[in-house]
Amino acid sequence: MSDIKERSPNQLMIFGIIGGLLGIYLTFLLPLIGDKIHGTIGEIINTIAPVAGALGAICAVMWGADAVRRVAKYGLGTGVPSIGQIAMGMGIIAAMFGLAIVKKNIIAGPIVAVATASIIGFIIGWFAQNVIKMKIPVMIRCMTEIAASGTIIIIGFSAAVAGNFEFGNIVNLVFDNGIMLVVFWVGAMAILHPFNACLGPDEKQKRLLYLAGSTGAITMAIVGLAAIMTLGASGVITMLLGIVLWLIFYKKFWDEVYNDASSVVGTGLIPKTEA
Amino acid sequence: MVLDLTMSMAILALMGALATIAGCLEDLESDVGSQSNPNSQVQLAPQMGFLHRIFNKAISGEPISNGLSAVIGGTVASVLLSAEFYPLTAIVIGAFVAAIILGIFATTSYAGRVASQTRFKQPLYMDIMRYTTPSIIAHNFIMNFCLVAISYIQYEILGYPFTIPFLALIWGISAGAIGSSVGDVHYGGEREFQNREFGCGLNTALSGRIVRKAESGLRNSIDNVWFCAKFGGPATGIALGLTVFFSSWPTTIWGYTWKAIGIGILIVVVFIVLNRFLEINAKNAYGPYKEEKNETEAKA
Repeated sequence: MSDIKERSPNQLMIFGIIGGLLGIYLTFLLPLIGDKIHGTIGEIINTIAPVAGALGAICAVMWGADAVRRVAKYGLGTGVPSIGQIAMGMGIIAAMFGLAIVKKNIIAGPIVAVATASIIGFIIGWFAQNVIKMKIPVMIRCMTEIAASGTIIIIGFSAAVAGNFEFGNIVNLVFDNGIMLVVFWVGAMAILHPFNACLGPDEKQKRLLYLAGSTGAITMAIVGLAAIMTLGASGVITMLLGIVLWLIFYKKFWDEVYNDASSVVGTGLIPKTEA
Repeated sequence: MVLDLTMSMAILALMGALATIAGCLEDLESDVGSQSNPNSQVQLAPQMGFLHRIFNKAISGEPISNGLSAVIGGTVASVLLSAEFYPLTAIVIGAFVAAIILGIFATTSYAGRVASQTRFKQPLYMDIMRYTTPSIIAHNFIMNFCLVAISYIQYEILGYPFTIPFLALIWGISAGAIGSSVGDVHYGGEREFQNREFGCGLNTALSGRIVRKAESGLRNSIDNVWFCAKFGGPATGIALGLTVFFSSWPTTIWGYTWKAIGIGILIVVVFIVLNRFLEINAKNAYGPYKEEKNETEAKA
């Protein structure tokens, strides 16, 4: 499959980290600008600020899905869902630690969280490699990437529900009403499903990334629906934008399927084979 | 809310009934899509040259996929409840949204997995996609409805301290886990390898050689769910229903006392003894599988 051009891990990592953190920080910075501009424009900026968090999280979903793909290619069939769950497990611990420990310096929270996640991921990857002896060369790197992307996903979608990533705010608006569970569970599905659904010898990165965008957008739509309860108008925008993005990525995914599949038929008998 | 004994027993019975339906439909839904245990053989078949017309719904394991749909259902329902919808409307809409999303995941996994098997020439059958996906959505909708309803009852009437999404997630995982352990057994060996003698085990040479032809025409996933609805589904439903009933019954009658805990332990012991009897009985009645002569020759 070397003739097919693929996005390199580094490209996706930069896309995930920059895009994810940019989205997360915009939820914090846009309201600062919005408060300075009075009138309707200021209000609009304040309303769309939380949407950026979800968009950032989609970048991280695509990065995380590719990291899952790289590590799971070594024959982890039933292990793919476990990888998604462990990603969110590491992600939520690191996210809450990072956001809570910074206290007054709210702005440092996401970076501390991502750094913490990377350390946790590195340790878990090291254990898998050297203690359990799984002998997967990319294990340490991929676990680190998966943990970091999991953290960005958790913080991004939480910020889309809570309005920003201030710890107290997230506890009130995301934890207390149980929305965190949907962020956790659907977020995990978003990064584990692309590889799980495309598993097979002719799996291609492009199709997987489109599917990752689609699952990320579904998560965004659901998170947006939940945000209607907490934020009102911002939630509606997040949900609608999520649905539009989903339509785009889903269509692109199907284009790839039509391209890649051996044949797409309305109906028919089973083709004759040697068996 | 404080309830008298009759009312609490009625609610317990309702929860048991809802859990029974949810468990049954959960197992059937996983069988429509060949999820979980039977999935590996469906996935393997084209590699062995056995192309088929069976849906390949690879949305991870059952606990995770049912947790997904239940937590979405619970979240949507609680959003609508906070907007002062009627509880029944909120639960129905929540269950519907969650079922649609599961359907979307199902289409991507069938299309994705088939597209990744290009070298084995497995075609992507759009008619299978078109009439199997609604069946998955329908089964999942009923399961979501039951589970979110149970969560609502627990939260609103029984006054549990957890939120509806949380309870729904736990119920979804439980239903998936029970469906995976109880119901799956009834599809894999019996349906995919029904041309082999029951109990012969699956040696490597048989891997992927699943039954692809039905009584008339080619077998598809709807035929499989028809088969599973006879035993696998109802058995799963009873398992989940009894789990709900027996785990809440002692505390409903005796409250949160040591006596209730004692009765709970007693129930567990009785079930362990019953299971052991069943196992011994089955072993005595059917014994170990004896390889037939021609089968041994064929292997050699």
